[in-house]
Amino acid sequence: MTLRASVALQLGTLALDVAFEVADGEVVAVLGPNGAGKTTLLRALAGLYPLEKGYVSLNGTLLEAPEERVRVAPEGRAVGVMFQDYLLFPHLSARENVAFGLRARGVGKAEARRRAGEWLDRMRLGEHAHEHPRALSGGQAQRVALARALAIEPRLLLLDEPLAALDVEVRQAVRRELRAHLDQFPGPAVVVTHAPLEAAALADRLVILEHGRLVQDGSVAEVTRRPRSEWVARLVGLNLLRGQARGARVELPSGASVVSASRASGEVFAVIDPRAVALHRRQPDGSPRNVWRGSVEGVESQGDRARVYVDGAVPVVAEVTPAAVAELNLAGGGSIWVSIKATEIDVYDA
Amino acid sequence: MRQLLPPGQTWRTRRRVSALPVALGGLALVAGVLLISPLVALVVRAPWSQLGEAVTSPEARAALRLSVIASLAALALSTVVGMPLAWAFARLDFPGKALARALCLLPMVLPPVVGGVALLLAFGRRGLIGQPLGELTGITLPFGLGAVVLAETFVAMPFLVVTVEAGLRAMDRRYEDVAATLGAGRWTAFRRVTVPLVAPSLIAGMALCWARALGEFGATITFAGNLSGRTQTMPLAVYIQLERDLGVAILLSLILTVVSVVVLVSLRERFLGTR
Repeated sequence: MTLRASVALQLGTLALDVAFEVADGEVVAVLGPNGAGKTTLLRALAGLYPLEKGYVSLNGTLLEAPEERVRVAPEGRAVGVMFQDYLLFPHLSARENVAFGLRARGVGKAEARRRAGEWLDRMRLGEHAHEHPRALSGGQAQRVALARALAIEPRLLLLDEPLAALDVEVRQAVRRELRAHLDQFPGPAVVVTHAPLEAAALADRLVILEHGRLVQDGSVAEVTRRPRSEWVARLVGLNLLRGQARGARVELPSGASVVSASRASGEVFAVIDPRAVALHRRQPDGSPRNVWRGSVEGVESQGDRARVYVDGAVPVVAEVTPAAVAELNLAGGGSIWVSIKATEIDVYDA
Repeated sequence: MRQLLPPGQTWRTRRRVSALPVALGGLALVAGVLLISPLVALVVRAPWSQLGEAVTSPEARAALRLSVIASLAALALSTVVGMPLAWAFARLDFPGKALARALCLLPMVLPPVVGGVALLLAFGRRGLIGQPLGELTGITLPFGLGAVVLAETFVAMPFLVVTVEAGLRAMDRRYEDVAATLGAGRWTAFRRVTVPLVAPSLIAGMALCWARALGEFGATITFAGNLSGRTQTMPLAVYIQLERDLGVAILLSLILTVVSVVVLVSLRERFLGTR
């Protein structure tokens, strides 16, 4: 079973155009800022928004392809969806909620109840089977919603912000448990989230969505090491530059340039770890190839490190120790020298 | 803060604040008197000694029976076809929807007598629909129970439609999406998710609809006539008795009032009070 999707549709001001694949047993997190089109993408996969172009195919079966006039209605897709806020039917008990999909698929009443009970037991909710959603805690409601989505034995699992509705205290425990259930799910699973930690904890692979477009598709390690958008770079705390490579030199749109240890050509990204950015009150001498003068725009304390925002020919963020902040008197602002070793600048194709 | 203000200003502020509630309270009192005093008068002026006689008179019993049967039938008909109409207005998009909706809700503001005339022209013996219906099936609607039900439905159903439509629009539609992803077709989702979720609006709409049907006068007397025992409902009986025996008219009015109040209060406690 593999999900193959190319989703193109217009919804208000959002133009969604995304293509990606999810393998069997793989969990992919769709990560992006608010309004990037994450939920719209999920709803389109579930068949709740029709595609304008593209296709959705599951295990080789075409679920939707407007150009070929194929469209399977949501109720015929066997796609399990856990919606944001869970949306448990308020007029039904936990067990009736879980049994709903089975009943709708023609399973007999007694059998549906039995299977729903089994799912609730598996979710450690056996004693809450008769309770209505308003009597359940956030974590319990989340598990009922997951049981309801899984009870129909879906071929594809879609989760929309599965943890956003939970209190911070329970979020971590629920996340661990959710991960365990996702690991057991045999088909492809897609998790939509705006929280990078959640994405990293739940998913094997990240798909980054911005303004309805896919900007990056890769493993968690790849995305955190080599971000391909400003938003991701900020998220993982790296300096990201984009420019034209000419040998070891990367020329930036501002006219400035940086030098790396590797050679490249064409449009490239250059990423710099803030910890590799050195700050000096006097012009440094010695080996660094990248030296320029800037001004301290702000200092932000983060535990035992401080992030220093330096404006200049190449605006960068430096991460230094609180001791260095005091020694260089960075809190007072003023002009500062920035130096970065060429070996600390990682350059890759844009 | 108030202590820091000069005394004069405090006094003026306080006076301005209190003058407004007095005016509003006075107007509210006028409204209350206007609404409640007729009911009080009804109770005070009722010839209670004639109660047994008035209630047991065959004419009154027939009218009460007809009123209950016809208004419940109108309610049933309004619910069965009005609920889907509300759903269509709230959920579907079709050309001419705004016009269709306006026309369907028109009876709410139409003078009932006009409605009765219109019904006669549509469903009367020589009406637009009534004539072919009579020729094909032999059924003639006017001046029978069917006419009473039709007149009451015509006037009362729009109240159910607007109430349910508002409920459907206010409902979180994502619940219907959930039902769809769980494999429920539109009919199953409507029955098992939409209807239970709009139940409070549906109950409120049914109560309004039934009350309106029970009190229907103008359209009924125009379209169904005033045949004692056949089409003479309680409001019609009250009107007739007003010229014959004021006491009986008052007692019949009170019975009608009590029936309405009992039903509305029981509905409120069972369905609306729990919200």
